[in-house]
Amino acid sequence: MNSIEFESVNKFFGTHHAVSDMSFRVPEGSVYGFLGPNGAGKTSTIRMIMSILYPDSGRLRVLGDDQPERVKDRLGYLPEEKGLYKKMKVKEIVTYFGTLKGMSRRDASRQTERLLQQFGLEDAAGKRCEELSKGMGQKVQILSTLMHDPALVILDEPFSGLDPINVELVREVILDLKRQGKTVIFSTHIMEQAEQICDSILLINKGQKLIDGRISEVKGQFSSTLLIDYEGDPGALKQPGVIRVNNMGNSAELSIEEDCDTRALLKALMDAVKLNSFILKEPSLHEIFIRTVREPQA
Amino acid sequence: MNRMLLVAFREFLENVRTKGFWLSILMMPIVLALLGFVPVLVENTRTAKNFAVVDETGVVLDTVRKEISVRDFQYLLTDFATGQENLLPDFLAALFPQIRSLNKMERQSIIEFLFRDGELHDGLTSSLTSQLQQHRRAIIDWWAELSDEERAGFSDNISANYFRMIETSDLDRLNKMIESEELFAYFTIGRNIIENINDAEYVSNNLTDRDLEIWFGELVSQYVRDQRLARSNIDAETADWIGEAIAFEGITLGGDGEAEEVDSTDIARQWAPVAFVYFLWISVMINTQMLITNTIEEKSNKLVEVLLSSVSAISLMGGKIIGIAATGLTIIIAWLTMVLAFFTGLPMLAGLELPIDLSSVMADPWFLGSFIIYFLLGYLFYAALLVGLGSLCNNQKEAQNLIMPVQLIQMVPIFLMIPIGRDPNGTLAQVLSYIPPLTPFVMMNRAAGTPSTHEYITTTILLLVSIVVAFWLAAKIFRVGILMTGKPPGVKEIFRLLRAPVTRAT
Repeated sequence: MNSIEFESVNKFFGTHHAVSDMSFRVPEGSVYGFLGPNGAGKTSTIRMIMSILYPDSGRLRVLGDDQPERVKDRLGYLPEEKGLYKKMKVKEIVTYFGTLKGMSRRDASRQTERLLQQFGLEDAAGKRCEELSKGMGQKVQILSTLMHDPALVILDEPFSGLDPINVELVREVILDLKRQGKTVIFSTHIMEQAEQICDSILLINKGQKLIDGRISEVKGQFSSTLLIDYEGDPGALKQPGVIRVNNMGNSAELSIEEDCDTRALLKALMDAVKLNSFILKEPSLHEIFIRTVREPQA
Repeated sequence: MNRMLLVAFREFLENVRTKGFWLSILMMPIVLALLGFVPVLVENTRTAKNFAVVDETGVVLDTVRKEISVRDFQYLLTDFATGQENLLPDFLAALFPQIRSLNKMERQSIIEFLFRDGELHDGLTSSLTSQLQQHRRAIIDWWAELSDEERAGFSDNISANYFRMIETSDLDRLNKMIESEELFAYFTIGRNIIENINDAEYVSNNLTDRDLEIWFGELVSQYVRDQRLARSNIDAETADWIGEAIAFEGITLGGDGEAEEVDSTDIARQWAPVAFVYFLWISVMINTQMLITNTIEEKSNKLVEVLLSSVSAISLMGGKIIGIAATGLTIIIAWLTMVLAFFTGLPMLAGLELPIDLSSVMADPWFLGSFIIYFLLGYLFYAALLVGLGSLCNNQKEAQNLIMPVQLIQMVPIFLMIPIGRDPNGTLAQVLSYIPPLTPFVMMNRAAGTPSTHEYITTTILLLVSIVVAFWLAAKIFRVGILMTGKPPGVKEIFRLLRAPVTRAT
């Protein structure tokens, strides 16, 4: 069963082709990453899932329904740009968001109390939103998203602008939702985050899908990379068999040809620079992104 | 619909909790209080103006002074309040209970008897007649010896409250006094004033306040007129008879075609709609402004997308419009209640009698009903236009530029208020009624002239259609605009948005 299915979906803003011929599936119960640089079309894709925007062509199903606005109440959405009514009290605003999702006032009020306690915010219940610290505000926004126990949770750039403590909090929330069997989609332009939490990913650039699928499968499609720590001339890293050097100063990621003789390469590198470590592993998502953008696959 | 009401209810609650809301409600009693007290205050704090007269004839001033004294005595007779009898000599105080019950002619005869050797009216009781005859001399002497200060205390109408004559005829000194503002003005009456009425001057540094000039000028004119009549051997009665002005009696036709006399209440009725238009205009302005502010705030607070994940753009827009309409209606109903209480309750409480029966005008269900309906219709029309445009903006400054054209249209009814009030069924008023952005204000303005039923129906239908169109256009812009960031689009871009097909209805 898939929580989301996109089939050849297109979205235009004027002449700008924001989402182009997009097809992918999000399996139920998975943690799914929308990856791509800023302006790739991640938010537009999400807005179509939330029926905030409508596709110009193509088909999409959300939670098995081909009219996504009918399942809006079963979706939880935390946009990248989010805010609170400054003058409203914490308890009021969370309850309000619950009722907007179709909860009765009583249920919403009870659920608010439960969640505030769970997030350690019971003391803030009577405070106005403008009195909250940034971190507390973010917690309130997250728990507003989870109020109505949604089957599918979409988080748009949930980590951007968070301090390490809150990054950890969001990560916990995502993993907790996964444990409960919910589907979680989140978008990010930072590949490392996705690599750590996602089961599956969709890589987008300029409105087009580059690649999608389970992380292990995606990585399997690409030849391994070589991670090294070194001291010396970075120019000397470009040995035979190395396609590209992703130099990070004291370390580097080398893309190598599929049939590369890694022993010979190791020898060559040891002669060229002072080598501190040498690890052969599958490519990072970052590497895969760069490869797919530079060498579009057939 | 349910979600729309949730949005509306939240909007209403938030507005009701603001200081602005309560200030708006309290504004009305403050305005009413000012309306009531300012004129009284101005009247009470004004000081009498000093003036002098240089009389080259040597006779005019004496006659005028006597006339002033007689007129002031008249005010003593009509205005003298009970409970102040200790200010009067006993022989006069004893007469006042009887004098108060006299009619105008009887009272006038006392003046004629005391100061002009006339006869007392037959209607006076014999005791009053004999008392007056007995104390005539004493009353005249007592009145002549009073100072300006003492006279002024008897009635607000007595001239000493406003003007005090100073006994100087030295021109140099008078000019200096005017410069030092000790003197407000002086008059010179030329030797040949009776032959040549231009032989008179009025000297003052303040030519805008003409009260004194008019008052004194009228007294001198009367003197000149009397002298000219005497020279022409025309007696005063004949002159009055010739000079009588025709007074047309105002009549309106009632609903049943019966002629009815025009009284001051009818005039108030005629002009009450102007007051209603003014409040209508303020209400529409305040509420549409509130709507824009809230929309922009929601956008800049980055709440929009959160809300749109739960409600459709149309529900959000509709909810906001309804919520603020409810806020506006609450304010208006509070205002109307206060106005009614002011015009009906206060006079009763204070035992005052208003010169005209305003309460019946203000409480007229026709006026009140059309006021509320036109508020709602006018608000909805402008709300749709402004919420659409407001949704494109990220801050107040951007909004100000974009909604300027709409606000210019909103200004028009204010300029039309008086001309339409004067001629509520004229061609101008009739034509303007059919322009939907102006309909609520113009029709409210015309309420007293009672436009025909057919006019009410067609203009309202036209307005309703315009509201629907405005909402349809606003929805098209709002759906896209509310998610737009960056510089608001130009006119061309807005038209492109309006032409774009709506992909899905909700």
